[in-house]
Amino acid sequence: MVAYIFCLTTSGGVPVFARSKNGLKQLPFPVIGSLNGVHMFARSHDVELLSTVTDDSKILWKSFHDSLTLIVVSEDDNADDCHLGNVLSHVFDSMVMLLGFDDVTNIKNVERFKKDVRVCFPLIDKFVEDQSLLTFGDLVNAVDVIAAAENAVLQNFLDAFAECADSPYGCLLIHGKIAVATRKWWNLTSRELVLISLLVSSLTSCSSRDIPVFLPDGSPSVPHRLMTFQLTKFIDVCVLCGPKPSLNELEEEVGRFWRTSYESLRAALQNHPCNIPSSFNLDSNILGFIVVNIETNRCLCSVYSSSTTNGDESLDCHERRHILRSYYKHVVGNYFASKVEGSEKIPSSFTHSAMDTYMTTDTYKCYAMLSPPHQIYILYSTDIPTFAMRSITEKTLMILTKDKSTQL
Amino acid sequence: MMFASGKLIQADWHTTAEGRDMLSCLFTRNKQGLRTFGLLERPPLSAHIEEVHYKIFVSGKSGVGKTCTVAKLSGHDIPKSHIETAGIQTSTCYWPAKVLDMNKVMLFRLQFWDAGEAASKKFDHIMSACTDRVDAILFLFSITDKVSFDELHQQISRLTSSGDNITKLVIATKCDQHALGEVTRKDIRDFEKTWKIPILKVKNILDNNQSDTNDTVYTMNALCEHLWQRDLILAGKLNKPILLPDSETTKTITSEEFI
Ligand SMILES: Nc1nc2c(ncn2[C@@H]2O[C@H](COP(=O)(O)OP(=O)(O)O)[C@@H](O)[C@H]2O)c(=O)[nH]1
Ligand SMILES: [Mg+2]
Repeated sequence: MVAYIFCLTTSGGVPVFARSKNGLKQLPFPVIGSLNGVHMFARSHDVELLSTVTDDSKILWKSFHDSLTLIVVSEDDNADDCHLGNVLSHVFDSMVMLLGFDDVTNIKNVERFKKDVRVCFPLIDKFVEDQSLLTFGDLVNAVDVIAAAENAVLQNFLDAFAECADSPYGCLLIHGKIAVATRKWWNLTSRELVLISLLVSSLTSCSSRDIPVFLPDGSPSVPHRLMTFQLTKFIDVCVLCGPKPSLNELEEEVGRFWRTSYESLRAALQNHPCNIPSSFNLDSNILGFIVVNIETNRCLCSVYSSSTTNGDESLDCHERRHILRSYYKHVVGNYFASKVEGSEKIPSSFTHSAMDTYMTTDTYKCYAMLSPPHQIYILYSTDIPTFAMRSITEKTLMILTKDKSTQL
Repeated sequence: MMFASGKLIQADWHTTAEGRDMLSCLFTRNKQGLRTFGLLERPPLSAHIEEVHYKIFVSGKSGVGKTCTVAKLSGHDIPKSHIETAGIQTSTCYWPAKVLDMNKVMLFRLQFWDAGEAASKKFDHIMSACTDRVDAILFLFSITDKVSFDELHQQISRLTSSGDNITKLVIATKCDQHALGEVTRKDIRDFEKTWKIPILKVKNILDNNQSDTNDTVYTMNALCEHLWQRDLILAGKLNKPILLPDSETTKTITSEEFI
């Protein structure tokens, strides 16, 4: 769990911003200054300081393009450093997305930049408040999807609307998870996919938006316009456009293109928070799962199983999410490689590369399996016999990936 | 454009049985604020009620409370801290009011346009998108920030001209923060006299009580009444007010009690 994120200029060590988890007291500047000082000192001796651990916390440094240095302070969860490095990359990419690569890597006026960067705070705070995220995309570097039987129908509505917006890029978000997207949208890189979805859910709710965004990989210096329209509460349709059409013009078309989809939208909304149709018959010992397709950059996750409603609540959804996140960080970088940069450096002490791994505790059991291009991480209740986890995990992966509505 | 409130729109209609009935469809069940509707939705009111649409741009210095005011008036959650708005953000809300010249209830659909300061400076399409075919502009200042009040003049002259048909209103925000007030009642009265633009007062805080609901009713009615006045003038049914100093009989739309 992230506690603090600091941003300073790399050359001068001027503080740009500090974000802290809700409820934590801010650290005084001298502390931040010394944290940056040791990093700068090492640098001046041609040593790169990567990370360190204290009794209960971990600190990681990362400089970007000789312009900004980011420092993250987190509780030490024995995970590989790649996960905190990933957090800092997301924070840097967030700034690129809203301010543009040029403004972020070539800061002419720090005071001005400090003001401009404030627009990124809601997005950056998503990474600071990672324990309250309802999605897993930031962690697995793939974008959260929501499966629904209605998705096939909704795809047609979306394609028609995107065409009307004169844009190949369109997606439909339900509670911040992609229900459907156009073919071109899926060509965005994993970090672009993750950041756009998170950006939309980080903003205050409203009817429509027109936000200049830079795509960290596709268009870091030339802004596009991200337009979103709230069709009904919790459902936004997004398109990425050039200078035209205007927000006014496109909004006038929303009714015409989407009105007849209303019943399908309402029906698809019912799949939140499970993220899968209730018709899916998963093993009753499953408390939560993450399935990632590392080729298509999609992930399907849930901590609301059918048994969530069956009384006996040994672990609430918040705890399930926390355990799954921790388990993912425990596995990736230690046993499995994934989309997270740096996770491929598995400790060399292993003579083979693992395809399965599991863990049992007094209160839950976890199982993870590689089945390229898929990866699956499942949280089980203790009722499941340990010997059964492998076959049930395999079967679950089949159910989740073979169904058309999951698009995995 | 100052006129007696209640001349064009029946001020107490919302307390009549018909009014209360319609309002109950528009407020959330716990009456904390207005219900929000997606772009595909409309309040569950009779389809016979005629709808009139307006585009309203919200202008003012960064931090005066534009985003909070729009959230408050349109029923969205009020942000707890100052977040610089990214790009443009629009919020739609519905308000029924009884217009007196036709003696019938109309459904006003107001779309507020709010833009962040940094984005509007950096990208020129933002300002033009906000002001294109705009029906009204709300100029906001915070009573706790004198500079935001002093900037009004400049903002009004920059965005409007005497010949345009844009409804202009000024909203004083943070009226719950009297102790920190830097703008006095006299400042406000003088402004209204010089500019002939009424100043409405808002408090963007959640205090779930009747007086809060009354404030919302009051502000929304005032807004709609000014928009309706403009429509009547454009239709030639009402003379454009002649900008003369207030006569004693004209009651301004803001009442001191409202604070
Ligand atoms: N007490 C109080 N605070 C307010 C009021 N309106 C806005 N604020 C605060 O003022 C700050 C800026 O508000 P915001 O709407 O984001 O300003 P904007 O930049 O004009 O959009 C926020 O911290 C709000 O909580 C109000 O009526 N009363
Ligand atoms: Mg704002």
